[in-house]
Amino acid sequence: MRGVRQRWLGRLILTLAVAFGLLGLGGCGNNPYPGADDSVKVRYGALPEAPKTLDPAVSYTTLEHAITANVYDTLLEYHYLKRPYELIPGLARELPEPREIPGGRIAYRFHLRPGVRFAEDPCFELGEPGAKTREVLAGDFAFELERIADPAVTSPVIATFAKIEGFREFSARLAALRDAEPGFAERRIDAQYAAAGGIEGVRVQGPHELEIVLAEPYPQLLYWFAMPFTAPVPWEAVALYDGREGRDFFKDHPVGAGPFRILHYERRSRIALERNPGWYGALHPEWKAPGAVYPSQGEPGDAEAGRLDPATVGLALPFLDRLELRIEKEDIPAFNKFLQGYYDASGIIQESFDKVVHEGALSPAMAALGMELEKSVEPSISYLGFNMNDPQVGAPAGERGRLLRQAMSLVVDSEEFARVFANGRGVPAHSPVPPGIFGYEAEYRNPWRQPDLARAKALLEEAGYPDGIDRDTGRPLRLSFDLGDPSSRARLRALFFVNAWKRLGLDVEIAATDYNQFRDKVRRGAYQIFQWGWIADYPDPENFLFLLWGPMSESKSGGPNTANFADSRYDALFLEMKDRPNDARRLELIREMRGILERERPWIELDHHESYALYHAWMRNVKPAGLSLPSAKYVDVDARARARLRKEWNRPVVWPAWALAAVVVALVVPGIATFLRERQ
Amino acid sequence: MLAYLIRRLAYGVLTVQGVLLLLFVLFFLYATPTEMARRAVGEKAPPEVLEQWIVNHGYDRPRVWNPANPSDTLLADHFRRMLSFDFGRSDADDSPIVERLRQGVVPSLSVTLPLFVGGLAIGIALSLFVAYFRETYIDRAGVVLCVLGMSVSILLYIIGGQFLLGKLLRWFPISGFDPQPALVSRFLAIPWIIGLLSGLGGEVRFYRTVFVEETSRDYVRTARAKGCGDGRIMWRHVLRNAMIPILTHVVVAIPFLFTGSLLLESFFGIPGLGSITVDAIHGNDFSTLRVMVYIGALLFVLAQIVTDVSYTLVDPRVRLE
Repeated sequence: MRGVRQRWLGRLILTLAVAFGLLGLGGCGNNPYPGADDSVKVRYGALPEAPKTLDPAVSYTTLEHAITANVYDTLLEYHYLKRPYELIPGLARELPEPREIPGGRIAYRFHLRPGVRFAEDPCFELGEPGAKTREVLAGDFAFELERIADPAVTSPVIATFAKIEGFREFSARLAALRDAEPGFAERRIDAQYAAAGGIEGVRVQGPHELEIVLAEPYPQLLYWFAMPFTAPVPWEAVALYDGREGRDFFKDHPVGAGPFRILHYERRSRIALERNPGWYGALHPEWKAPGAVYPSQGEPGDAEAGRLDPATVGLALPFLDRLELRIEKEDIPAFNKFLQGYYDASGIIQESFDKVVHEGALSPAMAALGMELEKSVEPSISYLGFNMNDPQVGAPAGERGRLLRQAMSLVVDSEEFARVFANGRGVPAHSPVPPGIFGYEAEYRNPWRQPDLARAKALLEEAGYPDGIDRDTGRPLRLSFDLGDPSSRARLRALFFVNAWKRLGLDVEIAATDYNQFRDKVRRGAYQIFQWGWIADYPDPENFLFLLWGPMSESKSGGPNTANFADSRYDALFLEMKDRPNDARRLELIREMRGILERERPWIELDHHESYALYHAWMRNVKPAGLSLPSAKYVDVDARARARLRKEWNRPVVWPAWALAAVVVALVVPGIATFLRERQ
Repeated sequence: MLAYLIRRLAYGVLTVQGVLLLLFVLFFLYATPTEMARRAVGEKAPPEVLEQWIVNHGYDRPRVWNPANPSDTLLADHFRRMLSFDFGRSDADDSPIVERLRQGVVPSLSVTLPLFVGGLAIGIALSLFVAYFRETYIDRAGVVLCVLGMSVSILLYIIGGQFLLGKLLRWFPISGFDPQPALVSRFLAIPWIIGLLSGLGGEVRFYRTVFVEETSRDYVRTARAKGCGDGRIMWRHVLRNAMIPILTHVVVAIPFLFTGSLLLESFFGIPGLGSITVDAIHGNDFSTLRVMVYIGALLFVLAQIVTDVSYTLVDPRVRLE
């Protein structure tokens, strides 16, 4: 029996040794990247989800623009450092001036930089055998605008560009040709567009001259030429990458003229961009083009933050060799990997906020690691809205409704809300226009956004609802707060407002449904109070004040005016304001519009979102931007410092493996021995 | 046996049809084509773009009944596509669904297959071990540990595992995936350990019960009286006689290897089929969701039939009639 016991023990020890040996072999550290990257200038970042499309005509999310804005250069760009945001020339030689032409139309003429080339790609063989690239021409911009008009592309910005003369007509002609001739859609894409006759208001005046004619004034159009929607796209790429016979889809295979090009595209796990050696900034540093050199000016504070280092100013861009992006759907692992040094930047997760931020600044523990905290107010607004078509809270209730909305506005404390739910992040909003946008006045205080319970109660009584009881019926006034998120977190946030209104005696019920059902309620007009937000497409007050413009109301046009606010004076002021330059008259108009919103209260403005971003010490020239900017070309990293710190922070702790093995052996082996002895 | 198989297949076909019908009804109770379009094109897209998306994707057709052309409805198209295995393109991003499945199956199997095989082997070995030492403190400690393991949520295992093995001990990357053979085990070590630990309690409890019942049978006593060794009794006789419950347990789990692990894939950033399903639910992506459900249903029905057939292989006394 002694032999049997020894065999048992021998087998067990062998098994445990193999198991822990394997564990030891596999556990060669937590570095998720190949070590060869240690000395290369790579920027590591995380994306919370996989991009759906990299087609610049379709892509409309910040996440996707983090890739497309660096791959596709545009005619215009935003200045990297200046705030308020300022347009600078990109692929265009200068900013175009509007020119009035007969018929009340406006023309913009862009002069392109000659000699700009697309990133190398096999698609160019389609146009010229053996070609790896070709020059970017005015026709490539026209082609992209035609793609936006193409109904098959389903571009989300089709309505914006419909202001270009002949845009809708081109769209209709193209659709009619495809309907009339079944084989038409099979023709090469440039041939289809040529057959449809092009867009009348997009005039290619020469290889490097492009004129855009608008049927009506729309000065904000220039901002759209700083977004990837209008980037030049080679027809060869769209024609070749059709997803057939094993070829990629164009949406997964971008070919642009930007500072970076796609190196690796595994949409759901890893996306890598590399420096484009054929970028015009790299080929022609002597041009000193504004979009190809590091800026010499910024806003106050940039120099102090090291963003105007004389050693960097005027240097040719980009500084990075590569961008490595990983999809991280869950924010806890992403944040932990940031703390280990495997991501260069990160937001701050709610769970770790107190550990990271102390009294509005970086905590000593994080500061000791050399991290930096950058705060920035995004050009955005979050608000509670009233459905102005509702008979109780909206315009049909007349003066009673207005007093009710004013009273409800007076008891919502945005600062307290931000403190409880956003760790104090957020600038309390007093009007729809956020900081950094013309028309925002920091000293302005909306009288209905100063919490005042006594005044609110008086207003409610004046409205005929003393303590929330309808004087006419003697019954409590019951309202509904419609949420498009049934999660307990969303309900908790809604409870904050409901409890505030309860102090007035108002009985507001939370009607939480999933987002689809909520949208259906909005479509049917079956909602009273809702919470919503908006992030700027471009830095102009028009992009915020149109959210309350009558013709944009959800009930009339399905537009983003979900409050269905309609005020003839506001609408007239908006029309005058929207096309004006940023002058004194425009500010006057905005103030008057603000006054109408102040009185009518279709919204209870909550806050302008403030983002806190953490950066490691090895990052250089970082400046958060609320808009989608091609920021990667301005950023630099100290790769050697990063490699050293990563190594220091991530030495594996091995002793617990052996301790665990010893504990298991110590516990199990005597047991077996005892059992076998007893059995004998 | 042939008649039995044909009957089971017929039931299976009906079950899958029922699943497809139920999915169609439930999905369109939940989402409208406008919401599908909004999720695909973006919140800021104007109504005309949503309309265009609906037309481009064929969701402008009647859902169930079209008097002008009864075969031109969403329901008819749904069945036609699924039954002909023409899966089409994703509603969310227009990617071909077959391509997405092809890309997702390797990461999913990389997680689930070793977990399944390892879990089965370790589960059976540990169960035989505790069954052999039944009524001793090893057995009792095993029961306590198993119940403890079963009572803890997998989410806690995941967060705890990432914290302990990735952050505190720094043995493995916290999350991520790289399909290169040299790197894949480095990324999958934590998911494997967590998957194994979280599932082991239930497995060991189940197999232990089966083995304990077997070890009390007469043939075990006879074998022991004849001088047969303990190891031989457990591995050769007890294990073989306990094959029917083991097979039932194992074969039914096989379809889930292909459908992926929703939580593990999501938390560890593994681009497998489980996370495709989660994305499809969140993104109102009907065309992808129905394919995932359809494949899951087909595999499940097939697994049931394979289980029945496998009984006859491991136990000659079983006859399928």
